[in-house]
Parts: sequence; structure tokens; C-alpha cells
Amino acid sequence: MYTSLLYKEWIKSRRAIWLLLAVFAGVGAYLLLATAKQYQADATAYWEFIVQNSDIQTGRMKYLPLAAGILLAIVQLTPEMHNRRLKLTLHLPLDESKTLCTILGFGMTTLAVLFTVTVAALLAGLRVYLSPEMVFADFISLLPWMLGGMAAYLTAAWICLEPVWKQRILNLLPGTCWVSFFYTGALPGAYVPFLPWLVALIVAGFFFPFYSTARFKHGVQ
Amino acid sequence: MDTIIQCENITHYYGSKLIYENLSFEVARGRILGLLGKNGTGKTTIINILTGYLRPYSGVCRIFGEEMGRLSPTVKSRIGLLLEGHIQHAYFNAVQIERFYSRFFPKWKRDAYYGLLEKLRVTPEQKISTMSCGQRSQIALGLLFAQDADLLILDDFSMGLDPGYRRLFVEYLKEYVAAENKTVFLTSHIIQDMEMLIDDCIILDYGSILLHEPAEYITRCFRRFRFTSDATHCPSDNGGILRHTEKIGNRWQTCSFATAAEVEHELKKNGVIPDGLTEEKLSLEDAFIGLTGKY
Repeated sequence: MYTSLLYKEWIKSRRAIWLLLAVFAGVGAYLLLATAKQYQADATAYWEFIVQNSDIQTGRMKYLPLAAGILLAIVQLTPEMHNRRLKLTLHLPLDESKTLCTILGFGMTTLAVLFTVTVAALLAGLRVYLSPEMVFADFISLLPWMLGGMAAYLTAAWICLEPVWKQRILNLLPGTCWVSFFYTGALPGAYVPFLPWLVALIVAGFFFPFYSTARFKHGVQ
Repeated sequence: MDTIIQCENITHYYGSKLIYENLSFEVARGRILGLLGKNGTGKTTIINILTGYLRPYSGVCRIFGEEMGRLSPTVKSRIGLLLEGHIQHAYFNAVQIERFYSRFFPKWKRDAYYGLLEKLRVTPEQKISTMSCGQRSQIALGLLFAQDADLLILDDFSMGLDPGYRRLFVEYLKEYVAAENKTVFLTSHIIQDMEMLIDDCIILDYGSILLHEPAEYITRCFRRFRFTSDATHCPSDNGGILRHTEKIGNRWQTCSFATAAEVEHELKKNGVIPDGLTEEKLSLEDAFIGLTGKY
């Protein structure tokens, strides 16, 4: 039965998932080509610039996971709230909490796979031109942004599932503050001590959409 | 006699506006109950309460003995739900939606769904979002048949349908319900359609149940009486024998469950001397208007 629920999520979001794959692949390829071009122009000057400026090559990807998280939540959950179709989903003969876990789990897993594949491919490509230390600096810079994409997904889910427009707008404020934790400007590696806390924030954020769903169930208007 | 739906003392407000006060009713197994009421009397509200999508201010509803809002997956699998406007997951096509729902229901009847689709020439690959309201209604009906639920809850099943699709929906549903001894709780704005289907009828007034009787009793016993009179004062309803007495010039009409003799006696008691009193049988729709008034 849960497989069938995953099938529903796939049908709703497959176009967006293909689009995200294409965009991530495109941006990844662009970053690799840009790195290759600068490396081939003057490798020594390029490395020197990176070291002296603590520069990272993947900076242009910063807000891409955020956009991916928001887009996926919208394509998955807006159809559920349109004409209050969530009633149909919650009326399925399944435990309602498990149903919601499955829906959110689909989105989180999709994002995790998308981010992991992109980061792995990008870092493997960068390793051709850069030292391991430079690639690691890229990796630890990308990590909070990717977690931020998941936080954005959960915030957007929290807002989408909220039945009252006024409350949606009110949710937007703490939601934005919460997501901004993941995007505070910092030097590469500055986030490392906080990574466990960022993961804890994601775990806590997983329960926000349950609150909206409970309000929907109680018929809050 | 098994009770499938039981509502006890439901009171609900939207803000400070009272919708119901101490609303209580039951639906027995195998009965088809139609809920009638003017706009704003809370027909959809009671369906939302029943299915657990609205917590009332006070009171409790039970379906198959379980409290609304806490229905177990087993009980949910026995309830077929049709939302107002035949709402379905519109991103599926006709084949995908059958594949999706079939995994959830142990008694799923695939042939019932495809049989209906074939009769109505719905293209299996057509996306539900591109279908007309009539086609969507047949998808929704096919899914209800395939689910083989013991209880069908249908919210305004005739909404958006043209007369042909409405008749089709009613005929298929009637045949299915009679053959399978299903219990049905439904609402509709089109009372002629309900008349063909229902056994029992609840008429909601603002805040309470005005009447809960078998539909056959209402159409058999509730009559409209026409007469002429020079009287000027209309007797008030007061929940008594006469309902919604009206006059245009010296032509009068009133409705009542009472006999002609009783109506004549009541009119005279109220100072109205009727001349040429005639009585008419009423359709359910006319009876509804006779009971609730035109506005």
C-alpha cells in the first residue's frame, strides 16, 4: 500500500524531478567547465587565487538546493491542498501519520539522492583540477546548503499543508528564519562544528508539516 | 437492526454563527439517507464532521462504532467517499488512478471500474484534469463501485453534472446499491435525483433537523392545499399543522401533513374561512419547499 502512495508522489512530481536533474546536471557541468577553463589558462595563478581568497568553485550552487526543496514541496503538496484533495489521501485505509511520513519521506529521499549524486559527481570532476584540500573545502561548503534545501522543503511543506492563508503567511516568517540558518555567509569549514545541530534542526523540522495536517483534520478555517 | 452511522448531540459554530445545536440522527444498515437543506444549513459540514475533517464544538459521530476523527484503517476501507464536485487526484489518468487505489482495498473489483469506463467511452489514457465534470463523475463512481465499500458517503453528487450524466449517475448508483445492500448517506442540491434514490430523508433547517422521515412517507402524506379566502391575516407556522401559508390576492396556499378536514378546521380556528379547498400530492422537491419555504 505504501508503494502505491509512493507511486502517487512519483506521478505528481516526476516532471519536476527530471527538471531538477537536468538543472543540477547543467549547473554541475557548467562549474566543471569553468574550473577546467581557468585551470588550463593558468593553473598556478588559479590555485593561488583559491588559496589566498578561500575561494570555492561551487559557490554558484548555493541557492540551488533551496529552490529544489521549495519546488518539490510545491509540486507534491499543492495538488493535495487544491480542492482539499488531502481528504482523499487521509481517507486511505492507512495510518495517517505513516501516510504523511511516506509523502515527506519521498520528497526528502528524492532531494538526498539528487544532492548526493550531484555533489559526488561534481567533487569527482573538481578533483581532476584541484587539490584534495580544495575539493574538501567545496564539500564542507556545499553540505549546509544541501541541508538547507531539505529545510526549505520541510518549511514549504509546512506552509503548503496549512489550511488557512493567514497562518501560511505567519508560518513564512519563522520558516524563513529557520532556513536562513543554513545560508549564513561564512568561510569554508565554518559550519563544521554546527553540522550536528543543523541535522537536528532538520529532524525537528520534519514534524512541522504534521502540525499543519492536524489543523487541516480539525477543520480549522 | 445495525446502526452504521450514529450522530449524538452535534453542536457546531462557525465563529459565533450557530450551525447546529444538539443534532442527533442514525442511519441503519442498508438504508439510503438523503440530507436536504437550503444553502448554508450545514450539509457539507455534517459530512466533514462524519468523515473526521471537522471537529465539532461538541457531540460525537460514530461510523461502524468508531468515533469520527479516529477512524481505523479497517473502517476507512469500508467507507467510500465522494467529495463535492467529484474531486479526485486529477494528475492521474483513468488507468493510473485505478492502479493507485486497487492496492488499498482488499475487495477491489477491477472489472466494475473498467466495465463502467468501457460503457461510457472514457479514454483510459486521458488525464483526469482534462476530463469534463461528467466524465470525472463516472471515474469517481467507478472507483466507488470497485472499492466495494459497505457505506457510501456522497457529498452533493449531482454538482456540476448535466441532466444526462445526473440520470446516469443515479441509475447506476441505484442499481448498485440495491444489488449489494449498501448503506448510503448523501446530499444533493437536485432533489428530483435524490427522490429516485433515497429511503429516508433528513431536512435540515438553520440550526436543527426539521424532519427525519422516510421519503415515501413525506411524498405520500405531505400535501399542498389551495383555496380562496377574503381573510387578510396569514396564520403563523408555529410548528403546528400548517406550514408556510402564503397568499397572493385572495388565493391562498398552505402545506400540511394533516387531512383536508384538519387543515380546514385549523384555518377556521385562525380566522381564515377557506373556499374551494383542494389538496395536491407533492414531489419531494415541492414538499421540501413546502417545509422550508422558498427563501
